[in-house]
Amino acid sequence: MTQRLLIAAWSVALAAAAASMAFVLTSNHEDDPAARAALIVGLGLVFVGCGLVAIVRRPENRTGMLMALVGFFWFLSALADANNRVVYSVGIALSLLVYGAFAHLILSFPTGRLETPRDRAIVLLTYFDVTVVQWAWMLTRQHIGSANAPCPDCPDNVFAVTREHALSSSLLTVQRGVGIALVWAALAVLYRRYRNATPAARLTLGPVVLTSAVTIVLIAVMLVLAWISESATHTINWFVLVSFATVPLAFLVGLLRTRLQRSGILRMIVESPDELSLREAELALKDALGDPTVRLAYWQDDVQGYVNVRGKPFVVPEDTPTRVTTKVDYGDKPVAALLHDRALLEDPVVLEEVIGVIRMGLEKDRGERALRATEIRSRALLEAIPDLMFRISADGRYVDYRAPNEFDLIESEVIGKTVWQRLPEDLADEFMTAGRRAIAERQVQTIEYQLGFGEGVRHYEGRIAASGDDEFVLIVRNISDRKLQEQELQASRARIVAAGDEERRRLERNLHDGAQQRLVSLSLSLRLAQTQLQKNPEMAEQLLESAREELAQALEELRELARGIHPAILTDRGLDAALEALASRAPLPVEIEQPATNLPARVEAAAYYVVSEALANVAKYAEASSVRISVAQMNGAALVEVSDDGVGGADPAGGSGLRGLADRVAALNGTLEVESEPGRGTTIRAEIPLG
Amino acid sequence: MRVLIVDDHPSFRASARKLLESEGYEVVGEAADGAEALAAVEELHPDVVLLDIQLPDLDGCEVAARLAENEDPPRVILTSSRDAGDYGACIDKCGARGFVPKAELSGAVLTTLLG
Repeated sequence: MTQRLLIAAWSVALAAAAASMAFVLTSNHEDDPAARAALIVGLGLVFVGCGLVAIVRRPENRTGMLMALVGFFWFLSALADANNRVVYSVGIALSLLVYGAFAHLILSFPTGRLETPRDRAIVLLTYFDVTVVQWAWMLTRQHIGSANAPCPDCPDNVFAVTREHALSSSLLTVQRGVGIALVWAALAVLYRRYRNATPAARLTLGPVVLTSAVTIVLIAVMLVLAWISESATHTINWFVLVSFATVPLAFLVGLLRTRLQRSGILRMIVESPDELSLREAELALKDALGDPTVRLAYWQDDVQGYVNVRGKPFVVPEDTPTRVTTKVDYGDKPVAALLHDRALLEDPVVLEEVIGVIRMGLEKDRGERALRATEIRSRALLEAIPDLMFRISADGRYVDYRAPNEFDLIESEVIGKTVWQRLPEDLADEFMTAGRRAIAERQVQTIEYQLGFGEGVRHYEGRIAASGDDEFVLIVRNISDRKLQEQELQASRARIVAAGDEERRRLERNLHDGAQQRLVSLSLSLRLAQTQLQKNPEMAEQLLESAREELAQALEELRELARGIHPAILTDRGLDAALEALASRAPLPVEIEQPATNLPARVEAAAYYVVSEALANVAKYAEASSVRISVAQMNGAALVEVSDDGVGGADPAGGSGLRGLADRVAALNGTLEVESEPGRGTTIRAEIPLG
Repeated sequence: MRVLIVDDHPSFRASARKLLESEGYEVVGEAADGAEALAAVEELHPDVVLLDIQLPDLDGCEVAARLAENEDPPRVILTSSRDAGDYGACIDKCGARGFVPKAELSGAVLTTLLG
């Protein structure tokens, strides 16, 4: 309702009050006009006023409207004080309408709607009793009186058409009897409603139910007394009217009580210096709303659903007449859900504050959850680290440790000891220097060191990080394997370099001692032949002949050398042909078994040298009668195998040739094995990855 | 002129002997390494030693230096299948008369170097 309509309604109420007052004060049949006027005006304005306040507070609730209607109907009853017959008769005809509206008001409270067919029936019957039955009765009675009391001065009833006294009495009895029945029915409804109400709803319902009940009990008493004593009826009518006036006030009291109580507690929560968790928020809301059934749930993205304050899944129930769920969203995202008494919907301001409390709880919980998640992740990381960890104070004392294997360390030999008690002094000093630097500079320090044990030296890497202003964490990793691999790699590299150097030296020596010497001799022979050409042609011819032989040998030696540098046949015609050439030059029968084709060039070269070196060894040492070569491709690697049936007993580490081969294969991430049991021949097996 | 040929390669010794003899030199002996060379000089007292630098035991330059310490040292001509540059300063400092690459050896070159 807009403000203008409210003002208009209030103006109408004031005008009606003024008119009512005028009717009462000018009445010639009113015993106590002043009191009656005050009551009419006061009661009417209270109902209308409270009704308008209720409309402002809860526009969607019809209670306010009904309350105002009771007020206006109340003003109508003042028409019965008019001196004019017609106005008086109309007033009498409408005078009881206020009770119909009153029944409507109390039975539809607090929602403003008649929820059940039974409620609707009671209200309809009340309206029927106070209108149709009243009007029927009026048709039978010429002189009615005022407020159920005899009134000699009252005007006549203009609607009377008959003077059937018996009929009139019957109708009056029916009207009163129905009235009494309706009163009891309404009382029963109110009682049951109060009994079934949630504690939160009782806050609002209580005062209204109490005053309404008192009023309608008084009405019932009045109706009963009407049979017995007209004057007693007249007296109790005043009590009814006063009691009647308390109903809208009770309504206001209920409204203000819940509002004050809820707002007060909510404000305390909101202004509390301690942030509440969701669990605390739920408890606080139960208190604040006087509703122990309040349930709070928050949305969890990972499960795409609500969970309650204990973290258990929460299924939002269907709304019922008494309990509803209010969802708190942030933009389009669900954030939380509050299951609460429907009565809370009646007060949007309080509901907003409740949502504020929930948001506050969410903020705190989110912070705590984030912190907990970080802690869990950090712990999981620590648990997963396969290293020894020590916490060491700035003065060098072990505070705590964690060993992946519980038998690695004995607690009593660590905790409380100093680094100088457990480590060589130099190393302990080095750790403490690094530890203090880590604390001062907040930078991780790394130290590599080695410790001697019974079975040899172990290498470690220590990482040192500050874990406070006066302590650091030392993470120790055994890097012996890595060191060993590094050493092997270094040695292998050195051997490859040395082998390269040696190979070049050998080449130079071969060139110098072989082809070069032959060419020198050749040069000298040619020079001699030149000097002898004239004096001794025969000798010259001999010299030239020997020079030609020398040259042929030099050429052959050069060819041999070139083959040693890199087998041209491997490049030109592939591994098959190269292996066949090796086999054909070998001094014993060689069988080649299905050589693999299409190997990468570097793998082919390695395979060639394995076979070449193996064949050279067979020729030199094996005293074998035959050799078998196989080159196969399996599981992404080339498998090269050279087996002889010789004397065996070869030492894989003994010869530089085999070691050089192993290095060459290792450079391609491959492995070389030598099986050479004495008397059982020798097998050299290389596995060279293709990728 | 009496010559001692010192070289570890028999083919060179044979060729050099023929060449020098055809040009009027008298080859009085051959040696295959440094120790043999020193002994042969002691024994044969050659006028000229044609000395290969690259010997299996002693360096030719060292042999030349030791010979130079003799009372009546023979004149030493160093030779090699490598360049003189490969040996640096030792050729000049060991007391040898000169250096001839093996492929350029002849009686005339020898005569020139001996002056």
